[in-house]
Amino acid sequence: MCSLPLVFRNINTKKLTHNYIYRSLVYSSIHYDGKSDPGPLFFNEEVQSLLKLLTRIDYNKVFRKRKLGTKLLTKPDYQFMTDEQLKESINRARKKADVLLQIPPVVKVKEINPTILSKDSALKGLLTSKIVFTDITFGVQNADRIIVVRETDGTLQEADWQLRKRINQTYFPENGRLLKPPTMFQDTYLENLLDREEHEFVLDRACIQFDPDEPEYQRISSITYQHINEKNLFHLLRSTRHFGSLVFFLVWNKNIDNLLLDLIETSNVNEAAQLIALYSKIHNTEFDGDTVLEKVESFTKSASNKKGALELAIQAYKEVAKSKEQLEKGVNAAHGITEC
Amino acid sequence: MAKQLLNVTKIFQKLTINARRPVISPLLKWEDQTTNNAAVITTNSTRNTNYFKKLPADKLWKGITSVSNAGKKRGRGKTISKRNIKDLNKGQVIGVGKANMVWPGLSAPIIRGKELVQQQKLPEDPDREQKLIEMRNAMGISKRLKLSPIERGWTGSKMPGRSIGPPDPVGDETFDDFDTRVLELKVVWNMKGSFGRTRRNAAIVVTGNKNGLAGFAMGRAQEPGNALRKAKNRAAQKLVHIKLFKNHTVCHHFYTQFGATKIFVWQKPEGHGLKCHRAIKTICEVIGIKDLYAKVEGSTNVNHVMKAFFLGLSRQKSPQEMAEDQGLHLVELCEESYKFPNVIASPSVCKKESETKRDESFDYDQYCFGGKVVLKKKPLPPFYSRYDSYLKYLAKFDKKKNQREVKMNMLTEHGEIRSFLTDKYPECRQYYRPKKEVEEEET
Repeated sequence: MCSLPLVFRNINTKKLTHNYIYRSLVYSSIHYDGKSDPGPLFFNEEVQSLLKLLTRIDYNKVFRKRKLGTKLLTKPDYQFMTDEQLKESINRARKKADVLLQIPPVVKVKEINPTILSKDSALKGLLTSKIVFTDITFGVQNADRIIVVRETDGTLQEADWQLRKRINQTYFPENGRLLKPPTMFQDTYLENLLDREEHEFVLDRACIQFDPDEPEYQRISSITYQHINEKNLFHLLRSTRHFGSLVFFLVWNKNIDNLLLDLIETSNVNEAAQLIALYSKIHNTEFDGDTVLEKVESFTKSASNKKGALELAIQAYKEVAKSKEQLEKGVNAAHGITEC
Repeated sequence: MAKQLLNVTKIFQKLTINARRPVISPLLKWEDQTTNNAAVITTNSTRNTNYFKKLPADKLWKGITSVSNAGKKRGRGKTISKRNIKDLNKGQVIGVGKANMVWPGLSAPIIRGKELVQQQKLPEDPDREQKLIEMRNAMGISKRLKLSPIERGWTGSKMPGRSIGPPDPVGDETFDDFDTRVLELKVVWNMKGSFGRTRRNAAIVVTGNKNGLAGFAMGRAQEPGNALRKAKNRAAQKLVHIKLFKNHTVCHHFYTQFGATKIFVWQKPEGHGLKCHRAIKTICEVIGIKDLYAKVEGSTNVNHVMKAFFLGLSRQKSPQEMAEDQGLHLVELCEESYKFPNVIASPSVCKKESETKRDESFDYDQYCFGGKVVLKKKPLPPFYSRYDSYLKYLAKFDKKKNQREVKMNMLTEHGEIRSFLTDKYPECRQYYRPKKEVEEEET
């Protein structure tokens, strides 16, 4: 008999610990909620092509072997192919890669104020719970579906977006999406995942669970991007669909110094130029200079937050380039090839 | 004491010598004296020839413990079993007994070194009786050879499947990494005009270094051990190199045949294990193949299975050879990599679509099996599927079929088993057994 109160106490402590785990990350979430909408700029063709170029597609990484969640590895399928068939299957794979690398859209956070359709105060107190009416006609888009709620006080109004999402998921479930967001997106677990460099997994799951205009999605993605930027872990997202939105996020928030430094240090100067072109396109500024390096230098002078480090990197790159040129000259002279 | 014994023996001697004449035994005389009765003449008849005196001990022993061939044909001696035969003479030596005496000239030498051995009594051995009884009990019960599970073959202590160690070194060449396994050990008979039927043992063994080098051979000899040794050393002289895929399986599926034995062999991923005929499994272990599935159709004669399998292994092709043979690219498509075409081998000149024959198959499996199709039987439903009890079980289980998943979801969501109804019905909670330590503190 005396064990009963103990049981309850146990449960209580459990519940307490469960709720009290929440601890904020070092990063604050940054939403696209300013006055200007990033959508039109993001969907601009030039921006899209620049983002794709910066993604630096490596088919070996795009089509690397992944775990499918099956108990056993699937049996590889061997086929004999003619030249044409092989070419065709490679083309098919390229098209598949385009789908796999589609950048998740960057849009403003949604603000839906449900419109009130009618107020029937006569119905007040008739029911103890809300009633949701859903149009489940086949072929209607989730966003366009009519979902209305009769409140207990008699008001008939459109459902707010949280309710819409739940109802849509109930009637037309999307594979992998849960009714309640998984605990991995809570701060402590998220921090743990980021420390384990599981950024791609976090972003993939966030893409499934949330819509791009949801504040929760923007919170998770912005924290992940900031973590990557701070730890210089750009290689984790290269050749994945998320690199484009990472770059867009950094450019939008004028925080591209780390990425630029990374590009110059790895001698990807063309990509650095593309990044600066993207910057000038989004922020409507011009960096003068004819060559790639000059543009980078002018960016460093006018808009950079890490002037010292960037200037040093540019200097080092110049020296390396110079010594390379000299070496080539020497090799050519040794081979007896003289410049005309 | 000694004098008394001497007297008794003398009396017995007299008895035997004067057996034919009726003589009153001295014991009777003594009885007469004690009872003080008038002397009565009594006769004591003795027979000096009997069955046990006519024959020597060994013949008697043989008569009891065995039956003649002719007798066996007539069905005699059926009750004789080795379990019942106990030689009680064993362990009984003249001069050795309960009292641990030293009898010079009987149980000990008369002179040891330069000293004369004295008759003396040594301390008694308390376990002697026990040992004798144990020996008698153990008689007639032959113990089977017990092998450790690692050493066992396919069946118990029989030779097939057992390891007989590496082949003997030839000069300086040693076979240290090799292991030899027996596949067959049988008795074979040969009929000759001069000798009649002669019996020999024939052994088939495989030897290999578990790294793609293996050989097999047969050896015959009078003794099984010799046959095994001969076969083992001969196998070491007939090694062949066998191509392996990533050092764990065969290079590709294949079909192979020897006589009436047909084998279909499948390449398998790591961790699959060896699922095949026991002879094939043993051969694979010796070669170093770890993952494979094989199906034997037709005869399962071990000799032929072995030969067919070795034949198939030695006929394996490299991907380049296959591509060259077909004149087509060999491409791997993997579900895990979204079916991205991974070209494994390309021919020097690739065929065009128009050049291929109308009935030519592009199917890789069909090419590997040489156009043979494996018989795939439909699996029978399990025996219990028609039982009423099973249907009842299914009906009962239907209620809880999703319970585990729901439970796990609740645990991940709330950290305990609770749902939206828990607040309404707080009494319906998961019972947690209180921890012992907490209880102690409370009391």
